[in-house]
Amino acid sequence: MGVFGLFSSQDDKRKEEVRTGARAPDRSERRQCWDARDNFYRCLDKHDVIDSQTGNGKKTADKHCAQEDKAFEDNCATAWVTYFKKYRVAEYQKKKTIERLQKEGANKVGMQAGPGGSTVR
Amino acid sequence: MPALVAPTARSARSASSQPAFSYSSAGRHQQRRYKGKTVEEARSRYRTGPFSWKAGVLFVLAGCGLMWYFESEKKRMQRQRIAEASKGVGKPKVGGYFNLVDHEDRPFSSANLKGRYSLVYFGFTHCPDICPEELDKMAQMFDIVEAQAPGAVTPVFITCDPARDDPKVLKSYLAEFHSKFIGLTGTYDEIKNVCKAYRVYFSTPKDVKPGQDYLVDHSIYFYLMDPEGDFVEALGRQHSPQQAASVILEHVKDSNK
Repeated sequence: MGVFGLFSSQDDKRKEEVRTGARAPDRSERRQCWDARDNFYRCLDKHDVIDSQTGNGKKTADKHCAQEDKAFEDNCATAWVTYFKKYRVAEYQKKKTIERLQKEGANKVGMQAGPGGSTVR
Repeated sequence: MPALVAPTARSARSASSQPAFSYSSAGRHQQRRYKGKTVEEARSRYRTGPFSWKAGVLFVLAGCGLMWYFESEKKRMQRQRIAEASKGVGKPKVGGYFNLVDHEDRPFSSANLKGRYSLVYFGFTHCPDICPEELDKMAQMFDIVEAQAPGAVTPVFITCDPARDDPKVLKSYLAEFHSKFIGLTGTYDEIKNVCKAYRVYFSTPKDVKPGQDYLVDHSIYFYLMDPEGDFVEALGRQHSPQQAASVILEHVKDSNK
């Protein structure tokens, strides 16, 4: 028990260091963090939550994805958790904007074709 | 002008009516032929003015020739302008002198990079997602380049977060990506100057309290520098490792010529 306790406490210490940002995570720790993040994202997707940090999104996330959120925070640096949660929102907005621009772009192309067609006549 | 030509033509016409009486002697015959020629010439000149079909063809040919010449010359100038813009005067001044320490805690300056191409990437070990991905990509492109041109390129990672990334941290971090990657760090001001020289934007806070976690926002490009330490090209996230490697190899081959 003593040896096991020592190991687990060392492991915990390292995890704690990663969480607080005192130590940079290595490749496997990054992987763990990303997996925990993706798990959390999946839960948010299931409940149609984009922003899990404010308003109704936070309420829903706290209610349905608390377990995933806990695992996410356990496996990632605190700064990363905040970053990824914000990144999800930013990425969603980016996607929406591109979709909107593409729609507008399509309209513009349609308008350009109009006068061109009339001159050919 | 027509007023001048008209009398000549009229006299020529009256001359042509005369020869009917005078073809008995050779002298006159010659005169007649001579006169006849003049008449023809005069007539044609009267009909067409100073322009003959030969002159017309010549004119059109010369015109086309000049047009073609000017067009090709214009295109040549345009190409030249583009070439000059992308090499000589218009070249962005990226890179420059630096004096840092490597991941083995040995001094490492920009002079150490001279004589070989270098692939420079800026990042930090606490980077959440982009830098690790990009470093894996850098390892792949470096391997491709090494396979075809061994020793042609030095891969360099410069940290934007010198407060946390000391040589030891860099060493263990980079070892996970590639054994040949050189990690560079220094004081906050040294790093700031390098980033400035490479036109890298970064947002590392200067005075961080111990235990305070933060992330660094920074530009994400691979900088390809030539053996003189001059900037060649920036490779971004849009390039796959294969594409980036072939861009690098093209430059390496160019310099060998």
